[in-house]
Amino acid sequence: MSVLAYGVVAWLFLVGIYGVVTSRNLIHLVVCLSVAQSATDILLLEIGYRTGGHAPVFVSLPAHPGPAVDAVMQALALTDVVVGAAVTALLLALAVQVHKRAGTLDPDALRATRD
Amino acid sequence: MDLVVSTSAVVPASVVVPLAGAALMAGFSWLLPRWARDLIAIAVALATTTLTLILIAASAGHPMIYWFSGWRPSGGMVIGIDYAVCPLGAGMASLAGVLASAALVYCWRYFDSARGRHHALVLIFLAASVDFCLTGDLFNLFVAFELVAVTAFALTGYNAGHPAPLQGAINFAVTNSLGGMSVLMGVGFLYARTGSLNLAQIGQALAGRHADGLIVVAFALLTGGFLVKAAVVPFHFWLPDAYGSAPIPVCVLFAGVMSELGLFAVIRVWDTVFSGLAGGSGPRMRAVLLGFGILTAVVGAVMALAQIQLKRMLAFVTMSHLGIYLIGVGLLTPLGLAGASLLVIGDGLAKSALFLGVGVVQHQRASVSEIKLRGSGRGLAVTGVTIVLGALVLAGLPPYVSSAGHALLVDAADQAGLPWVEIVIALSVILSSGAVLRAAGRIWLGWGDSESSRPDTGTADDPGEEAEDRSDTADADGKLGANGLTGVDRDQDGRERSGRLRRVPLTMVLPPLALLAIGLGLGLTSGIEEHAAAAFSDRAAYAAAVLGTHGGSIPTGGRVVVPASPAASAGGVLTDLGQVLAALCVAGIALDRRAVALRRALAAGTGWLRRLHSGLVGDQVTWLAAGLALLAALSEAALH
Amino acid sequence: MSRRARLVFFAAAAAALAVTLGAGLAGLPSFGSQITSYARMLNELAPRQRHVTDVVSAISFDYRGIDTLFEEFILLSAVTGISVLLRPLSDETRQLPEDKVPDRTIPPPSPAVWLLAVFLSSLLVLTGLETVTHGQLTPGGGFQGGVILASALYVVYLGTSYVTVERFEPAPLLEASDGVGASGYVFIGLLGLLAGAGFLSNVVGLGVTGNVISGGTIPLLNLVVGVEVAGGFAILASEFLDQTAVIRPRRR
Repeated sequence: MSVLAYGVVAWLFLVGIYGVVTSRNLIHLVVCLSVAQSATDILLLEIGYRTGGHAPVFVSLPAHPGPAVDAVMQALALTDVVVGAAVTALLLALAVQVHKRAGTLDPDALRATRD
Repeated sequence: MDLVVSTSAVVPASVVVPLAGAALMAGFSWLLPRWARDLIAIAVALATTTLTLILIAASAGHPMIYWFSGWRPSGGMVIGIDYAVCPLGAGMASLAGVLASAALVYCWRYFDSARGRHHALVLIFLAASVDFCLTGDLFNLFVAFELVAVTAFALTGYNAGHPAPLQGAINFAVTNSLGGMSVLMGVGFLYARTGSLNLAQIGQALAGRHADGLIVVAFALLTGGFLVKAAVVPFHFWLPDAYGSAPIPVCVLFAGVMSELGLFAVIRVWDTVFSGLAGGSGPRMRAVLLGFGILTAVVGAVMALAQIQLKRMLAFVTMSHLGIYLIGVGLLTPLGLAGASLLVIGDGLAKSALFLGVGVVQHQRASVSEIKLRGSGRGLAVTGVTIVLGALVLAGLPPYVSSAGHALLVDAADQAGLPWVEIVIALSVILSSGAVLRAAGRIWLGWGDSESSRPDTGTADDPGEEAEDRSDTADADGKLGANGLTGVDRDQDGRERSGRLRRVPLTMVLPPLALLAIGLGLGLTSGIEEHAAAAFSDRAAYAAAVLGTHGGSIPTGGRVVVPASPAASAGGVLTDLGQVLAALCVAGIALDRRAVALRRALAAGTGWLRRLHSGLVGDQVTWLAAGLALLAALSEAALH
Repeated sequence: MSRRARLVFFAAAAAALAVTLGAGLAGLPSFGSQITSYARMLNELAPRQRHVTDVVSAISFDYRGIDTLFEEFILLSAVTGISVLLRPLSDETRQLPEDKVPDRTIPPPSPAVWLLAVFLSSLLVLTGLETVTHGQLTPGGGFQGGVILASALYVVYLGTSYVTVERFEPAPLLEASDGVGASGYVFIGLLGLLAGAGFLSNVVGLGVTGNVISGGTIPLLNLVVGVEVAGGFAILASEFLDQTAVIRPRRR
């Protein structure tokens, strides 16, 4: 179970980076970046997970509630989601302008900054 | 040195002031006239600088711990977030404040945007930098890292009307995002092992333990992510793209502060978290960091010589100096760190002055291509002097503070038994300053070829990289904002084409001179070397102060021992002067028509290196992945 | 590098990186086995000390409140940055959308679509407000609720027209709400300073656990963050909408 759970993290991160490296469309690249981002979120949440645990919300609990999962990791994951959303939005705005100015969305066709 | 727990309001004020200013600027600037916006932004930046300067003075001799939200640690466990204020961190924060103020003064009427959004972004950048330098919490470090990054991405793409800044911003954003993800994974690993997010507590938990796979990988991911920000080879490919196309005032912030923050984080995390590991060895980790530093310094210097676009050249000069700082930091001694921090301050001021000077040239001559500008420096004498002076300062001109830092660095390398490091540093500095001096010679004296000796002229012919759409003349109603001048040739950005007749505004000429003057003043301050050491080299005492296991203040180790023999300092001055002369010689050779064959041969020999810098984001991410893996392998060897 | 060379190089790098990540992940405690004592301590302390039932909110806005302050500013910077990046440039102009056929205005949406939009957007506003105000009791809070509130704007655009959206959410109001939200957080933090405790301390009365008003500054911070996030995402929506619907190259 651990192997699968943690293997997903490595897989998502590498697949996301693979998508970024081989992308031919900036929108696709941005989405691949957020796939890699989700790998880090999942890592945080998995570190904080407790089998048989319930959410760290202490209202309307059953009679024998059992342990609660890690709330700190959930707060960190929330922050990471916000950061990811901010960067994604910025990159999409850049993609919109690139399409208007350079006429293409292919990252390999952008040759404006090279030696 | 004693560590104290402080409740002074100055500590949180140093981030609250710029944040509040930025929020008001972002939300309510439509209420204010433009001069008021500029003035308020400059005032807020200066206020922040003052607060951080107070923090330097207050924390000298007794570094301070400040707890947010009132949550003191209980039972040896940290609950909340703290700031750990030391002179090094406060000094870097002050540098950020000074450069932000200079950039905002330079921006007076530079950005004609209808609202104060640019000012808000610069102030948030400043606040995030201050938080980065002062924080004692690992996740707070990550959040500040990301905030610096997000504001930087937005500021880079300001000239959204041309492809080069957009591409630069995309490359910057993608690579630095991945760096941030790497840092976050490292944070997660450390939390899982030690159960804390506080730097001191993590260090305490790891002290004396052996580094297993998890800790090695956590170190590699953390350091790798920060090295992406610090633009160290092979994570550096985004830097010329971003710096080469960002607006000039933004380049000032980047070159002086942003990349140095990455190195600051590397040493901070190493010092407080990883340096206590058992079995980990100083000399091997030193070798790893020095290797990266030397590679960065040399690659940066060689690439700088090959550039004809001025901003890109300065980007590579910046990168080369970052390699030198990494060498200083990587020696892992307080003396090396002291030398590196003085270099950061001095070079930061000089590099910013250089960028601002290039900005004046761009403003007046509408180009940043060295070839196109040949001989057109007449009438910009003050800027010419600024640029030459800046280049000489970077080469180590005494008595600037950079030369004091250089002397300390050389001493540290000697003490560590690596005197040959000085030769590498000298070589990089000579080559990179020589490149800038060559450009100055070509522009102001008209020397040199009128064509590039390189077979491909690269991007200098693209119109996009020269023009800056800094006057977005369409506001909400779609009316042109700056029309009405007749008889003057206008290009599509609404600027006047013939700049020769216009005077350069004082707000653009004075800031670079002011920065250089500050550097001179600091260099003439005696005893600055002794204050430059980091305060947290005593990890156990820091942890005890944070966790509150000792009441009150805790004495730590002594100060940095600075060799003060007159012979050594005279020798240092001679070496620095020699470097300056050598840089001038390099510039002369580069401009001499008789040396064309030599230049062609060198250009052909380094063509492969230049082709690697393709500006394609896919390449850059591949290098990033390879670099992370390489760093992990090397860390495994160094920490086991 | 050619694409082929890049792919080969990346394959090698990815393999090495996979080994690295695997080595790191292998050192983690077995999945689901335990949580750190720091987390356990907070789960026990937070309901008692702060009179809230949602510990994640307490951590975000109280124990680690300064992190959330910077996180809020990340959003503010991104929104400000996007409005800078997508601003109409000197060779562009703003023109309201018009029908391609001359002498005809854009036909209004059908009454069914309009009614659906009104119903959905009201529902979204209610849900958003509920999420924002109950953040200290159940999962939710300022960030989540703010996004729901902003999505009401999208629904209004989809169901009506650009002109209606512009009238409902004028740009100065959105920017002001963004600014109010961000500065509000800072000023609530200053309350702590003024009361003599640290910055961002919880110095307002804590109330009774389980009530909507409980947790001291936590619901206040939730509200302020909700305002900021809602304003921010609404600005985002209107900027991207402007790019597609309104901004055109300036004809000479």
